[in-house]
Amino acid sequence: MSSPGIAEPTEAIARAKAGDAQAWGQLYHDYAPAIFRFCRRALPTREDAEDATMEVFMKLKGKINQYDSSRPFSGWLYKVAANHCWDTLRRRKIRQDKETEDSDELPLEHPDPSQLDRLIEQRSSVEVRKALACLSKRARMALVMRYYSDMSYDEIADELGVRRAFVGVVLLRARHELRNALEGNAALAAGGNA
Amino acid sequence: MNESSNSPDDRLDEHLDDPLDEHLDEMTGMLYVEGQLDRDRAQRASAHAQDCSSCRTLLRALARESRLLTRAMLEEDEPLPSRLAAFQQSAQKSMQWIWGAIIGLAATGVYALYTGYVEPMQQGFEKAGFAGSSVLNLMLFQGAFWKGWQSMLTLLEVSALLTIAGSVVMFLRRRMRRSSVFAMMVAGICAAASTSSPAMATEFRNQGDTVEIAKDETIKGDLFAHGHHVKIEGTVDGDLYLFCQGADIEGHVTGDVIAFAQMLRVNGKVDGNIRSFTNTTLINGNVAKNLLTFAETVTIDHPGKVGGSVTTFVNTLTIDGAVGRDVLAFVGETAISGNIGGGIQAQGNTLRFNSGAQVNGPVKFKGNKPPEVSSGAKLAILPVAFTHLEHHKRYQDAGFYVWRVIWTAAVILFGLVLFLLLPNFARATVDSAERYGASFGLGVLVLFGVPIAAFIACITVVGLMIGISTFILWMTTLFCAQIVVGTIVGQWLMGHTRETWQLIGRMVVGVIILRVVEMIPFLGGWVRFAVLLWGMGAISLAIYRHFTPGHTAAVPVSPVMPPPLPPNTTIGSPQPA
Repeated sequence: MSSPGIAEPTEAIARAKAGDAQAWGQLYHDYAPAIFRFCRRALPTREDAEDATMEVFMKLKGKINQYDSSRPFSGWLYKVAANHCWDTLRRRKIRQDKETEDSDELPLEHPDPSQLDRLIEQRSSVEVRKALACLSKRARMALVMRYYSDMSYDEIADELGVRRAFVGVVLLRARHELRNALEGNAALAAGGNA
Repeated sequence: MNESSNSPDDRLDEHLDDPLDEHLDEMTGMLYVEGQLDRDRAQRASAHAQDCSSCRTLLRALARESRLLTRAMLEEDEPLPSRLAAFQQSAQKSMQWIWGAIIGLAATGVYALYTGYVEPMQQGFEKAGFAGSSVLNLMLFQGAFWKGWQSMLTLLEVSALLTIAGSVVMFLRRRMRRSSVFAMMVAGICAAASTSSPAMATEFRNQGDTVEIAKDETIKGDLFAHGHHVKIEGTVDGDLYLFCQGADIEGHVTGDVIAFAQMLRVNGKVDGNIRSFTNTTLINGNVAKNLLTFAETVTIDHPGKVGGSVTTFVNTLTIDGAVGRDVLAFVGETAISGNIGGGIQAQGNTLRFNSGAQVNGPVKFKGNKPPEVSSGAKLAILPVAFTHLEHHKRYQDAGFYVWRVIWTAAVILFGLVLFLLLPNFARATVDSAERYGASFGLGVLVLFGVPIAAFIACITVVGLMIGISTFILWMTTLFCAQIVVGTIVGQWLMGHTRETWQLIGRMVVGVIILRVVEMIPFLGGWVRFAVLLWGMGAISLAIYRHFTPGHTAAVPVSPVMPPPLPPNTTIGSPQPA
């Protein structure tokens, strides 16, 4: 799991469980920026991300007693955030969701490696983040869970409600969508050789 | 990759079982890069890639793509928004004491207001015979259109409600989406308005040029009449609302009369109060309760009678008929020839008691000239208490400065609550205020245009609630203007900031400076006017930008997002397969 780069806040969690406001403040201070960035990448607007961040920490107050201290706190927190963001996205119809369940059309063709290589090489982080906004909600969510919070395939499957083996399909399709968005050219979306 | 595996996904197995003398497909490559292949398949894929430059390139590209994604995701591209920072403060330390302090301060302010202004005024009015229907109650709490106000008897109750409402909004805002809170508030207001509406049926009449209630006609319930001329010869068993050029009440109205008209003539009988906004009001008939009027000319002609008190804000007041209780007049010229059952408290240019005038209570007049009393006039208490109007005397009065401080504190307190409730909007408003031309231009439009629009909305009857709501919003904006401009002035002196508490600090400094400058004779008036224009324009501009799609936060990624790395940053060095 990707963490905000701090040691496990065992003591703060114990105090927070006891209702210590100072401990809550400490947890919020340490983890809110990371959770906000997670929500910022997963949700369409900045305001959504702000709302979601606050709501995640509200939920946290109710769920803190369920936290198993033998597991990394940040990982657990990301799961709560992912769960909340995915629920938010599913409830809404913000954008025409391109996503279908047509996993049978999984493109497994051998891509043109040199073309793919060039496509990736030319892209910056800023462009990638901008392109995220063009993705379908599941693709976006999958990429954020995998590459931001480093969630395992099992955890992603759990959050998205798909079989574990299907996570690879979701991620690959998400990468295709991302390439398509980056390139603005559907011809490159199918792995570079379509 | 040709062995049959126990993979949970058969379709993937199909691909993964391909012999490795064929190229790796992209899925296999991605799973390999991600470390998701089992050991045996990973070894086969690795072995194939060592001999196949094409697949090696593919794996390298996929790995670079993974790293690009991770880097793009993890970069800190924007700081924690101030709204979340404020939330952090609230989480880190209990802010209950601040809210306690705010509520305490608000309660103290309201108490000071009540005991300093309201109570003495009420007592004064009661002594003068205005008990039961004081002008304050009449004007503030027995609103012309909404009877629900009648249940709110004191200013304290209103203030308490506002404080509670603010606390509830603050409470909900932390737990719910803004839109949900807004929807709840609107729903609550609608529900409150609907439950407070009169139980009786309401009738609307708009029959072109003339609306006429015939002699033998009886309207059960309230009547809204709108037309060029309205004539009531029959009976209205409820309140009468008039929006017209000319109105004649010849018949009987059992409730109140609320009139927006150029000319209002009452020759019949009104059992309730008359509240009119007219050019001319002429009473020849019988009004059982009180008369409150804003007009150019008001005449209570003989044998007209007002059973209760008369409160006027007019240019010319003539009383030839009878008034049962007191007269409170803010008026240019007053001439009295009739009978006043109570006293008179008047402020204006002249007051004249003609022969035949009879006043049974004390007379207090504040004006430019002493009142003229004809030898035939009968005044119960002589001499008339006269105070010469001394302009600018207030500057020599210590109480003026005390109350100036109290009101400044009230403005600051109000600003503090606004900044904490709506930090983003407050910042947007301050930003808008820095667009001087647009703010002033829009300010002129809003300051003069909105009240006119609200009035027109009221006249159209259907838009009555909208008109009143707009007017209330306009009044609120009027009050908020000095907070916005005060913040700008504070920023001029102390520098720009985005932090809420620092912004509040600048607002405090700026408001104090503005309030001091506004006390300067002559210049202060112009400063106040400029503040109103500027502040109202800035608030309107912020509201406009808030609700304009191009300015909302709906853009997925901020175009001004500072990239932490140089443009076109690419992922690292080539990765061996």
